[in-house]
Amino acid sequence: MQWLDAIIQGVLLGGMYAQYALGMALMFGVMRIVNIAHGDVMILLSLIAVSLAGVLPVGNIGLIVVIVPIAVAIGWALQTFILNRVVGADPLPSLIATFGLSIALQNLMLEVWSADTRSLPNSGIASESFQIGPIYVGLLPVIVLICAFVLTGGLDAVMRYTRFGRGLRAAAADTEAAAMTGVDPKRIYATATAIAVGILGLAAVFAALRATVSPSDGSAQLIYAFEAVIIGGMGSIWGAFLGSMVLGVAQAIGLRVDPGLGILFGHLVFLLVLATRPEGIMARKK
Amino acid sequence: METIKHMRVARATTSSRIAMTLGIVVLVALVAMPWWATSGNIRWAIELCCYIAIAQMWNLLAGYAGLVSVGQQAFIGVAGYMLFVLAQNFGVNPFVAVFLSLIAPAVLAVPTYLLLRRLDGPYFAIGTWVVAEAVRLATSNIDYVNAGAGMTLRVMTQYSQHEREVAFVILCAVLLLATIGGSYWLLRSRHGLALTAMRDNPVAAASQGVNVGRLRFCIFVAAAVGTGLAGAIYYMAQLRITPGAGFDPFWASMAIFIVMVGGIGSIEGAILGALIYFFADRLFGEFGSAYLIVLGLLTLVIALYARGGVWGLMQKLGDHPWFPVRRKLIVEERA
Repeated sequence: MQWLDAIIQGVLLGGMYAQYALGMALMFGVMRIVNIAHGDVMILLSLIAVSLAGVLPVGNIGLIVVIVPIAVAIGWALQTFILNRVVGADPLPSLIATFGLSIALQNLMLEVWSADTRSLPNSGIASESFQIGPIYVGLLPVIVLICAFVLTGGLDAVMRYTRFGRGLRAAAADTEAAAMTGVDPKRIYATATAIAVGILGLAAVFAALRATVSPSDGSAQLIYAFEAVIIGGMGSIWGAFLGSMVLGVAQAIGLRVDPGLGILFGHLVFLLVLATRPEGIMARKK
Repeated sequence: METIKHMRVARATTSSRIAMTLGIVVLVALVAMPWWATSGNIRWAIELCCYIAIAQMWNLLAGYAGLVSVGQQAFIGVAGYMLFVLAQNFGVNPFVAVFLSLIAPAVLAVPTYLLLRRLDGPYFAIGTWVVAEAVRLATSNIDYVNAGAGMTLRVMTQYSQHEREVAFVILCAVLLLATIGGSYWLLRSRHGLALTAMRDNPVAAASQGVNVGRLRFCIFVAAAVGTGLAGAIYYMAQLRITPGAGFDPFWASMAIFIVMVGGIGSIEGAILGALIYFFADRLFGEFGSAYLIVLGLLTLVIALYARGGVWGLMQKLGDHPWFPVRRKLIVEERA
């Protein structure tokens, strides 16, 4: 029963990771860019949310309504002013640029918010739980998981059926050919990053509700998102969701074995997938 | 009447002869440090040598082999720990153990590369980070190496301060010779041509008969060993190692910053960058996070606007290589 509980908690934790991973899967699938500052942007949004909650009495839903547009604006600006200058066949410039941005952001947050851990004021929702048989399940993690599921489905549908999604996939397959057929790759890229960071805005509010955040937490979130994307299979939206579940369950089981081993188990499962099925669980057929 | 053409290949330039002479002077001065410098200065010199070596190895990886790693701290940490275990737990002479400890980064680098080669570009980079994190977490859970509390190199107390300093400056000279000299030798060799071709275009290089995969593998392992040597020397001088320090991602940030600011894809760039970083750290380190914000933004700006770094700018002013790797054909006509 202890292990069933670990698996359930792991899937719920995976819901949180899926919210980090979706944006990364989208950006890598389209632009082949890995934004090293991905986790730091999320932490930045969390800290903004915590500070705003102290000033604006808007409640959690209101906070999401305020933070997501800010996130979308940050994403759009990030792509337009930085990433669009470094996209290309050579991955080095984008990697180095976002790496520098990550260090700058982390230390900027340290200056502004200090190294203290912070979280959103507990509004009851974070501590509510219900019981299924002998297992207690937190209400907030379930909401996070449902949100992640809906977002994944929505993003997948957008990619498949909308004009924007078609443009996105065309630009991903061949930027120049897409440009010739009337797709503006730079605008598509900016929209994609805006969506990716917008999702992070939602994740940021949930993360600050669920646990605490501090300026140096970003790199861990980046690594989890990355592991989820690789485990699931690069370029697959549902793969990122599934990879997050696998990662969450691995960490939860590791945590039951020994409190010091949770995160290590996640890394080991990632390396195991890389060794045995490098294309990921849900690799897109070529 | 027929002119006989004599052809020869020139490799050294005036600037390179000056640089070589200066290099030898610096090396001699470094080894003589215990007789003319203070202990504080020697500690600085050890630190600077380690920065140069780690940056040079990262430059070889990212600048030539196209392997961007943000997990080099894995090799620094394992070499450091191996040294501490050999010297402290097995009683091996620490100055012998420094070289024996290079087995650890080599052994770690082989499976790391074989696993991660499947990931391209940026994903390779984060993959190396995951490996470094996994090794850090594993180390923090092994009681044999004192888990998260770290180890202390108590055996060093059997040597006098002067003996230790003499040994350290010799080790540093060996480190510089191995990393800078080794890179220079590699780049001037047949493999250097292949590496330069790979840096400019891996696909074209492969079509010319360069075994890109094998060369990358060899560079990855060699860079791991070079980085490990720097790590072992650094932590030997520190006398203490903890998982948090030995596997600190800041090692990778530092290497990236040094190479990008100095100029990627050149031996001179890594040296210049290390000097700039070292003195900037001494001057502005007290400003803490504000200083790191500037470092981060500087890296960003260089990636966006000045990919050649400081060495790239200096080359625009005049072509005076310190470590020329090019070959120049000189045709002499005689009657």
